[in-house]
Amino acid sequence: MTEPRRRFVSTTVEVEGRVETRVVEVPAVTLEPWDADAALTHVGARARRVDGLLKTAGRAPYTTDLARPGMAHAVFVRAQVPRGRVTAIDTTAARAMPGVLDILLAADVPAATRLFRAEVTYAGAPIAAVCAETLAQAEAAARAVRVTIEPGAAAITPEQALAGAPVRPGLTSNQSGGAPKVRQRGDVDVALAAADVVVTREVRTPCVLHSAMEPHAAVAEWSGDQLTVWESTQGIYRVRDGLAKTLGLPVNQVRVICEAMGGGFGAKNYAGSHTITAAILARRLRRPVSCVLDRAGEQTDSGNRPSTWQRITIGARRDGTLVAIDLDAIIPLGIGGWDGGPGDLFHELYACPNVRTREAFLYVNAGAMASFRAPGHAEGAVGLELTLNAIAAELGLDPLVLRERNIATRDQKQDRPYTGNRLAECYVEGARRIGWHDRAGRTVRTGRLRRGFGVAAQVWGTGGGPPSYATVRLNTDGTADVLSGTQDLGTGTRTILAQIAAESLGHRLDAVRAIIGDTATGPYSGNSWGSITVASLTPAVRMAAEEARRSLLEAAAGILDCAVDALETREGRVQLRGTDRSLAFGEVTAKLGNVMIMGQGARGPNPSGTGIMTTGAQFAEVEVDAETGVVRVVKVVAVHDAGRIVNPTLAESQLEGGIIQGLGYALFEERALDERLGLPLNVGLHDYKIPTHADIPVIDGHFLDGADPLANPVGARGIAEPAIIPTAPAIAGAVADALGVKVSELPLTPWRVLDALDGSER
Amino acid sequence: MRLIVNGRPVDADPPGHQPLLDFLRDACGLTGTKRGCDRGECGACTVLVDGEPTLSCLALAHGCDGQSVQTIEGLGDVDAPHALQEAFVAEDAAQCGFCTPGQLMAAAALLARVDDPTEAEVRSALSGNLCRCGTHPKIVRAVRRAAQAIRSSDAS
Repeated sequence: MTEPRRRFVSTTVEVEGRVETRVVEVPAVTLEPWDADAALTHVGARARRVDGLLKTAGRAPYTTDLARPGMAHAVFVRAQVPRGRVTAIDTTAARAMPGVLDILLAADVPAATRLFRAEVTYAGAPIAAVCAETLAQAEAAARAVRVTIEPGAAAITPEQALAGAPVRPGLTSNQSGGAPKVRQRGDVDVALAAADVVVTREVRTPCVLHSAMEPHAAVAEWSGDQLTVWESTQGIYRVRDGLAKTLGLPVNQVRVICEAMGGGFGAKNYAGSHTITAAILARRLRRPVSCVLDRAGEQTDSGNRPSTWQRITIGARRDGTLVAIDLDAIIPLGIGGWDGGPGDLFHELYACPNVRTREAFLYVNAGAMASFRAPGHAEGAVGLELTLNAIAAELGLDPLVLRERNIATRDQKQDRPYTGNRLAECYVEGARRIGWHDRAGRTVRTGRLRRGFGVAAQVWGTGGGPPSYATVRLNTDGTADVLSGTQDLGTGTRTILAQIAAESLGHRLDAVRAIIGDTATGPYSGNSWGSITVASLTPAVRMAAEEARRSLLEAAAGILDCAVDALETREGRVQLRGTDRSLAFGEVTAKLGNVMIMGQGARGPNPSGTGIMTTGAQFAEVEVDAETGVVRVVKVVAVHDAGRIVNPTLAESQLEGGIIQGLGYALFEERALDERLGLPLNVGLHDYKIPTHADIPVIDGHFLDGADPLANPVGARGIAEPAIIPTAPAIAGAVADALGVKVSELPLTPWRVLDALDGSER
Repeated sequence: MRLIVNGRPVDADPPGHQPLLDFLRDACGLTGTKRGCDRGECGACTVLVDGEPTLSCLALAHGCDGQSVQTIEGLGDVDAPHALQEAFVAEDAAQCGFCTPGQLMAAAALLARVDDPTEAEVRSALSGNLCRCGTHPKIVRAVRRAAQAIRSSDAS
């Protein structure tokens, strides 16, 4: 009996604020971490995005671009009331229309799909699907389906949810868990009673929509018992497993592919109604079926960041030391979702021994929330940071100084050290870049054009973790492939994986290709969410590449008749150290014929007992027109500590993306829901305003140099979500600074700005 | 009807109500032009009709009879990219890439008019092209970089 080849242990993983314990594999090989001083060639380089030309040439294959032979098109008929019961559906006219192939109603789909049910629980809920030869025919026929709905009493507001009947069948309470989610450390009431100053503020944040440019989309095609689905998704494996379960199929009969996708931001993590509908119709019709949400469907039925009401009380000592933080919050989730609320951040951003959060997560008759770039933290940061500014004002302290005095040196949420936290350096560097300490001369508080400055911080768990797998193989000509079941949302995953593999192999970057986005070819990798892809997957790629490199060296040693240890690899050549003897990788592999050099890599567990976080500080400079109420963000400075940066250009793109989405959250974006009718009012991109080229400030994004070798063998942490967290509070703080008014509600539209001014000046 | 698509004459008789977008994507197979909203709001479907940036989801195919339509495929390709496409890659001006063809066509129309646009001119010309990834700073830089490259190559 030999030792088992594989060992498994428990480890904790943090994904989007949720800490999970998982059983994971401990790889047989332990990688020596790349520390901050490691001499690396490809990692850390500004490598160009490997699929950049494909995208700019319009050749990247998005799901919405697919035209499979014989492909039909499906669209949904949606409910136009928030609550009621479908009593009749007349499809006679629709079925007679040109090109119509099939119409799916509740009776046509397995109950497990939960599709098209008679109980209507939000406006926009799918009631039927119409499939036709062309999209235009399907849309026309969908308009001809006659639906009779007996309206019911809807709960749209939190008050209605708490007072009314269940918003959907099966609920016993419209409050998730039946009661607020309460978390406390220390004793907040005692600490507040003893505090030198206490400030209470109420803050409201809006419900905002992901608004990816490519809507949710699936194309399904059956070949015998094999289902292939092309999906615009952040998680091909999760879509595969979800589809298999819902349709009762063996997992190995489902293949999911996502080669290019047009944005997710948290809304594309699962198989959706459109996915299941396409798969069912494709089986019934024996032809490929495409189901793409139209823009109104995308804006109403694909998720949102829920609105929040927050009442925050903070107590501090005279010197600015925080002694207590208290949060009461109400979060209407919509008809479903999870408890990703503002409270989490309150427990970890600032050092404070007494923290209590009470969050009421309510179900209402509106579209369900979904994870949206730093879910919960982005909302919580608005309340926490604006209240911190109020404390600073009360104490006569600079808001930055107050923050610098309350840096959390430990992971207070789980009472453990961090692998590293250089937030103090982020404050110093950011302050230098924005000119914080001499801002007084640039601050304008009178006249028409006012100018102000704001600061905010962030912390976000970005350690990632197992499981994540990769294979690296060398081809007969010495080129290399990285295979993994991950996907590229536009973050640059393909490029990053190629950089890691080229580095670990000692290869040329242009000789390495990442093959991802296909469950049939890549071993498991998790969803691209929680800013964890780089930290989760790159150590596995590194391990796979190093294993392949060892095999290559052994083969080369045989050819060169030398010891393996005497060989090194660089830029695609195996070199006998101290000599001029070398072989190109292709010369070695040519000798091997079809003997394949292949390495397998698995992500090892995270270090136990430590928190792995990305921290950072952001500063905003704004100009406010006191006559029109229009806010212009002049500049945003962002400095974050994210460990090793694998590709600075791609990392900057993520920073800028988070900042610009945060700017939209601060100034423009708000889903308007008619509280009487329960209908969303701005379902298009004219009425729902996202930032445009005209709104973009100067963005100065910077990452601290270094690496986090304690976190994982690559030393990288995540970067995609952190930048959105402090953006809106820094902007809101700057507006309050410019106007000398209290800001308590986002977005800061002109009328809200003028209202705030009215309250203070007239 | 006859129109010129990317320099080639195309004879067709699409349904009278068919948008140019559907005609290009479905009949011509030119899927580089994206359908982001299908209601004239996002700019992802921007093409040039007789050189003018046009929302192809709102234009009727028949309305372009006798006109010249240029799509992203006509701007350049992977093996022979236009200076704008090269600059977009160099500046990392495409994240998810879905809005990119529309941004590029709007930029191409701008550069046909102005050979050295200011930052403000680029922003103004492209402000109808939405991007949700937040690639705007790099798009603006890329357009100005391409303008510079075109001026240099014209001068040499």
